Amino acid sequence: MSYMRADEMADLALKRVAASGAEYGDIRLLKSMGQTISGEDRRIASIRDVEDSGFGVRVLYHGGWGFAASSILSLEEVPRVADLAVEIARGSASLASEKTRLVDEPVHRDRVVTQCRIDPFTVPLDQKTTLLRDVMDSLQRQPDVVRSSVSLWARRDHKLFVSTEGTRLEFDLLAVQGEFTATARHDGRFASRSFATPHLRTGYELIEAANFMAHAPRIASQAVEKVRAPAVRPGLYDLVLDPEHLALTMHESCGHPSELDRALGYEANYAGTSFLTPEKRGTFRYGSRHVNLVADNTEPETLAATGYDDDGVACQRWDIVRQGLFVGYCTNREVASKVGETRSRGSNRADSWGSVPIVRIANIGLEPGSASLDDLLADVKRGIYIEGHGSYSIDQRRYNFQFGGDAFWLVENGKRTGMLRDVIYHGITPEFWNSCDGVADRRHRRRYGFITCGKGQPGQSGWMTHAASHARFRRVAVIKG
Amino acid sequence: MSSANVKGWPKLTSADEFRFLADLVLKRSGADHTVVNLHDLHTGTTRFANSRIVQNVDTRRGTVTVTVAFDSRRGSASTTDFTAGAIQDTLARAERIAQVSPEDPEYLPPPEPQVFPTPLTSRPETAAAGPARRLEYANEAIGQCRIENLQAAGIVSSSVASVGVAASNGLFAQEERTEGRFSLTVQAEDATGWTAAAHRSLDHLKIQDRTLSAIHKAKRGREVQELAPGRYPVILEPAAVAGLWSWMLWTLDAKSYEKGTSPFAGQLGRQIVDERLTLQNLPGHPDLLGTGFTNEGLPSEDALWIEKGVLKQLDYDRFTAKQQKMKRIATIEAPCLSASGPAAGKTQDLIKRCERAILVTNFWYIRIVNPTDLTLTGMTRDGTFLVEDGQITSAVRNFRFHESPLRVFKRVDAFTEPVEAVTSETGKMLVPAMILRDFYFSSVTRF
Repeated sequence: MSYMRADEMADLALKRVAASGAEYGDIRLLKSMGQTISGEDRRIASIRDVEDSGFGVRVLYHGGWGFAASSILSLEEVPRVADLAVEIARGSASLASEKTRLVDEPVHRDRVVTQCRIDPFTVPLDQKTTLLRDVMDSLQRQPDVVRSSVSLWARRDHKLFVSTEGTRLEFDLLAVQGEFTATARHDGRFASRSFATPHLRTGYELIEAANFMAHAPRIASQAVEKVRAPAVRPGLYDLVLDPEHLALTMHESCGHPSELDRALGYEANYAGTSFLTPEKRGTFRYGSRHVNLVADNTEPETLAATGYDDDGVACQRWDIVRQGLFVGYCTNREVASKVGETRSRGSNRADSWGSVPIVRIANIGLEPGSASLDDLLADVKRGIYIEGHGSYSIDQRRYNFQFGGDAFWLVENGKRTGMLRDVIYHGITPEFWNSCDGVADRRHRRRYGFITCGKGQPGQSGWMTHAASHARFRRVAVIKG
Repeated sequence: MSSANVKGWPKLTSADEFRFLADLVLKRSGADHTVVNLHDLHTGTTRFANSRIVQNVDTRRGTVTVTVAFDSRRGSASTTDFTAGAIQDTLARAERIAQVSPEDPEYLPPPEPQVFPTPLTSRPETAAAGPARRLEYANEAIGQCRIENLQAAGIVSSSVASVGVAASNGLFAQEERTEGRFSLTVQAEDATGWTAAAHRSLDHLKIQDRTLSAIHKAKRGREVQELAPGRYPVILEPAAVAGLWSWMLWTLDAKSYEKGTSPFAGQLGRQIVDERLTLQNLPGHPDLLGTGFTNEGLPSEDALWIEKGVLKQLDYDRFTAKQQKMKRIATIEAPCLSASGPAAGKTQDLIKRCERAILVTNFWYIRIVNPTDLTLTGMTRDGTFLVEDGQITSAVRNFRFHESPLRVFKRVDAFTEPVEAVTSETGKMLVPAMILRDFYFSSVTRF
């Protein structure tokens, strides 16, 4: 689909929307290409090449929302979809006890392109499958490693956003990721250890720089060490968490509660609400003074740094938690005014042309401190150092959480000793973040992210990046999982 | 009335049209084996929160996927563009991938052509439902909550899909599938009550009755006390039972079993849960979401998975099934868990039997903690109550649990007949409500 034809379709749709008397309308036309190569147990199990294209029209009519979408990209389909969106919005308006109003946003006309050195879709397929098979062979050469899995993933989105306010935005966005896992068995138990690149908006150079083959032997031997390791003894431990692990902890215990639509009850029936209710903003001590959580949708390569969100709002950087105090939300043009803000933070995103945009967690990261990782460990008498993601669960208001991890080491008198298994820590979000007494410096900062963040009905997958340096938490409750 | 007859509605791909699309691929394919899958979906959802409509959407998405194989080298490509040129381009993409793919030692040709069962997968009232009908049902739930001065959040959705599979060896199947869904969370200040339903018929969702039930729960939840974590007898409502059983179903894969990385390792043919429990697949049951065939082109048929507590069946991929000389691959898209022996009539009858227990409406965010023994964690949600001397005496703050279904379903005290159960995290099942002994709640949250 050329942009010329897409503009023609957009023009046709928005003219019909405007003629209906609607106060606002927009259209997103999207063509996505995805490639996923996955392998298990030394074989390439599937190679999937996906093309997904279509358009969605969103209408705000007399304060009521309507949205209709279709995968039929034709000038004949546009009137049906635009008129249906208007009809649905009229129905919503007929029951509207409170009219939806959008906060202002300047008109933008721009083009956003992901910068990359190696287009992942131009890398020969056999080069990728050879790499993945070599990695699986390397993992399964380790005695006691009984299973392996690998994957490479890439996606390109060509998108055109046009609104009745005059905003017109073109996007050519890329994202890439790769990972592998070894599973070892011992004494009737089994355990896995993984290596993953972050999901980033860059090219195949991310995979090349990750050097899978250099890490595979370490991951395999740690899988074996992990399955043979002693189970953790329940109790209170100091925890030192690595950036990959913290990405998930931040996502669940800070990211979701800072979504304003949740705090206002929009997700009460599914993803849940939030303990960070509006009256707490500016007064609630979320964490210790070491805890600075910043939303930054402007950092290059990160998943939510798309230039503009699906409201056509420019990406921004703002504070969520400043020196431990809760100060900010992720918002869109609909909900921003409900907490007295005059501009959206630009966090409204849809996962496809067929989905309506909803408030999404921004690229929320933990700001670096001043310590080194060795400094953080040195001051631990009895603790656990945790890397990577494991089991995770949190209540629907984001208070009570529990996290596992991918690898655990006992820390005694400032030194990492042997590995542990079955480590689970749990707590209450603000108590946990108030127990943070040190964050490592910028040299330790790493970025990890998610493309499967579930929210909304119908369900959508959100994309965002969370950066952090290592951080230390005192006297956290640990149980055996 | 079929969906194709509704004025202004997009026409879904019929069996004849799918055959035409498939032939575009099959007649041009140079591969040894070619499979075409169709998923043509028309779906709409009306979503409400704070007792007003916050989202109202309608989407038509058609997808064709082409999978080809040269010997055992395989490639797959899909498109949402149904024009002849795009379909042929999708075939070319799949062929290019297959030609450079490594050989897959587990590749098998498509299943042989066969006659598939034809359960009632489509209901005209659901296929014909549009935004106005969804809005009407949403307004019914919102209205009832407004009368009680309570806040309503939820969805009403309806969908119709044309699903098909065709292969170069003559395999062909196509069917229309409809689905209506309703879920509701009623908020009474800090307390919540919840209900959910899914059915092939949008008119079977019992919105009024379910709304009253959720209102009742929310109102009962206003006075809440905190109990210490620990082991309690529990009365699990059907949704809570389904939440735990879903993880059993998702971890029954035969390949993990054969490689020793399954929580069921060594348990085939052995008793894994209470001897009164039986798990079946019943795709023809009118209240389940059964289908006639799988994406691979295998028939969906009745199957016995657990009989009187004994594990009888694993979830086989075709390669592992061939290795194990399985004649038939059982599917589990329409699960029914039943218990033999005298059953209580309703959950209320289970409550009357309990001297002291925790009543759980639903679980939330269930995840695996230990894959070796299938220890799970999760939270109670939207209606957790203390039962004393046969009646609910107060709401309690929500608990986190750490338990394995392989342990707790050996501690069954009483049960009802199986009833419909669906949650936001699981598919639809028929399961009983149950009383279980010594259920471990590991911590408490703040609400």
